[in-house]
Amino acid sequence: MTVFADATKAKGEPIIELEGVDKFFGSFQALKDINMKVGRQEVVVVIGPSGSGKSTLIRCINRLEKHDRGRIVVDGVELSDDVKNIQEIRREVGMVFQQFNLFPHLTVLDNITLAPREVRRMPRKEAEELAMRMLERVKIPEQAHKYPGQLSGGQQQRVAIARALAMQPKVMLFDEPTSALDPEMIKEVLDVMVELAESGMTMIVVTHEMGFARAVADRVVFMADGQIVEVGTPEHFFTDPQEERTKLFLSQIL
Amino acid sequence: MAELTETRSIPVAVRLRPVEWARRHLFGTWYDAALTVVFGGLFVYGAVWLIGFLIRSDFEILRVNLALFMVGAYPRAELWRPAAATVIVAALIGYVAGSASAAAQARAEEAGLPFHRARPKEVVARFWPVLAFIGVVLLLTSTPTPWLVVVSALIAGVVGYLAGRGQPAPVRRFAWVWSVGLVVVAYLVLTGSGIGWDRWGGFHLNLFLTVAGIGLAFPFGLILALGRRSSLPAVRAVSITYIEFIRGVPLITLLLMGIFALGFFLPQQLRPGDVTRVLVAIVLFEAAYVAEVVRGGLQAVPRGQVEAAQALGLSPWKTTRLIVLPQALRATIPAMVGQFISLFKDTTLVVVVGLIDILGASQAANSQPEFLAQGLHEVTLPFVGLAFWVGSYTMSREARRLEKRLGVGER
Ligand SMILES: Nc1ncnc2c1ncn2[C@@H]1O[C@H](COP(=O)(O)OP(=O)(O)O)[C@@H](O)[C@H]1O
Ligand SMILES: [Mg+2]
Repeated sequence: MTVFADATKAKGEPIIELEGVDKFFGSFQALKDINMKVGRQEVVVVIGPSGSGKSTLIRCINRLEKHDRGRIVVDGVELSDDVKNIQEIRREVGMVFQQFNLFPHLTVLDNITLAPREVRRMPRKEAEELAMRMLERVKIPEQAHKYPGQLSGGQQQRVAIARALAMQPKVMLFDEPTSALDPEMIKEVLDVMVELAESGMTMIVVTHEMGFARAVADRVVFMADGQIVEVGTPEHFFTDPQEERTKLFLSQIL
Repeated sequence: MAELTETRSIPVAVRLRPVEWARRHLFGTWYDAALTVVFGGLFVYGAVWLIGFLIRSDFEILRVNLALFMVGAYPRAELWRPAAATVIVAALIGYVAGSASAAAQARAEEAGLPFHRARPKEVVARFWPVLAFIGVVLLLTSTPTPWLVVVSALIAGVVGYLAGRGQPAPVRRFAWVWSVGLVVVAYLVLTGSGIGWDRWGGFHLNLFLTVAGIGLAFPFGLILALGRRSSLPAVRAVSITYIEFIRGVPLITLLLMGIFALGFFLPQQLRPGDVTRVLVAIVLFEAAYVAEVVRGGLQAVPRGQVEAAQALGLSPWKTTRLIVLPQALRATIPAMVGQFISLFKDTTLVVVVGLIDILGASQAANSQPEFLAQGLHEVTLPFVGLAFWVGSYTMSREARRLEKRLGVGER
């Protein structure tokens, strides 16, 4: 696993770059001078106290939030106000939300085929085959014709992952994907995410599941008050955190 | 706690004898007994009064004027046209129901869910008010024509239903094309021989104004509701101004303006007929209310839905069309149907601008020499009321079914 991660890191070529990113909500500054690079096939786990700007950070990457200063480059394209450019980046970046956000009026299959068909103009049949492959990947092909409301939370989150994967994104963003789940369902979702990481997907994951971080993260980023406070390998965080705030936070969650 | 009570009161199927049942449920306590006596008394009084009314009254005024009530001043020589249109519409309703049923079955089978196909008995139970009203009309007929129409319509409805059920899936995909085709045919039949809307009347006019009013106000209202949320300030301002202006004006004012004011603005040869003007007023009015109802539905769609669609790369328009609107419109079904029921009833307001709808027909019948000043409003108004009650009640029941089926309120 770590060998794998090292190998990818050796590539070094960044797919996401943030330079001096600031974000304000009114007069409140949610992100302060964020600098960060994510390499291809790298898995970055973002941790930090509630309200520290973790969600805002990853939502800026696919323009669900608009940053106010600095540069964000995704796969060589800089985010600007140009609608075309935003849509292009969103096609390449998959996102999984804490609350799943599946479309309740569509079946699981339609949830997954919607974007490939409507955005990538894929024929229905091809999209459905793709969707079934994605459902197999998240291990619930038998749920294809159900509605989200008929599934458990863990199943819904796995459908949400399949839905994002069906766009064949280059990067996947996860915003606390297991925080809304009952404890017995967390593992099934994390297992899928671990497999995804091992298959070489570039991932930025906001989570406090330190077992997940230890298993697959190349780097852990600790945020507080809208700033990146400390960056390191999982081992670094478990054995030798430097900053006081990091130590305090880790003592609370571990 | 709920579980505790559940285990304790295991339901036992005891069939009580009627006397036993009444003692327990109607006379259990002294106030139960008092309520039973009061309401039982009122009920008996009402029933006796109704029977007396039915025996005492002379329904001749309805019998003679049935065509007036149903189609107003439609040329009598051309009555086959509304009759044929009725049959076509019955076929259309049957076809739509059959197609919907077949589509629902296909979906259920695909999802491996059970599908319950409606049995004729259930359909009768569902639409008994409509059937009862048709029965009342038939009781009032003095000629065989209405029977012919009703029987043909029933057959057409059944045939339409079977066609809808039996059509192969590729044909069903174009169900809306065939449906629109039938509407066009019905319209052409009705307006043939140069009998435009402006000569329509009676209950037919009420139904037309309702259906056309809904059909035209709905898209207009939808656009207004979306306009109200637009990111362009000008679009937003226009939408809000329109909605708030219209909602501040009574419908009757708009109807009068439609009839009297529209004439000033348009040159003689372009001036539309009375029904058209009334329809314009209704659509303008109704659209503002539809917009407000839709706005409520739009607000009910969680922010996360839009974000998920955006994150997948869907354009704003596709996000609205494929994700937001379907959910918003589902959430608005109850309010929307309420709005349309009130429009249905409000169509009687056209009486004030001199159109002969079913209420106008009742007024007209009462001023015919042979029925003048005999207090026959006592007969005609209940008939008019019955027609509206049947329509409103059926709409609200169907809405409740639809709501349940689409799972409004559950997510
Ligand atoms: N839409 C918004 N409007 C105003 N303030 C916001 C908004 N979204 C987030 N914030 C604020 O920005 C800060 C960071 O939020 P967030 O990124 O959600 O934190 P985290 O995900 O780390 O819990 C919080 O103080 C939050 O209240
Ligand atoms: Mg968050």
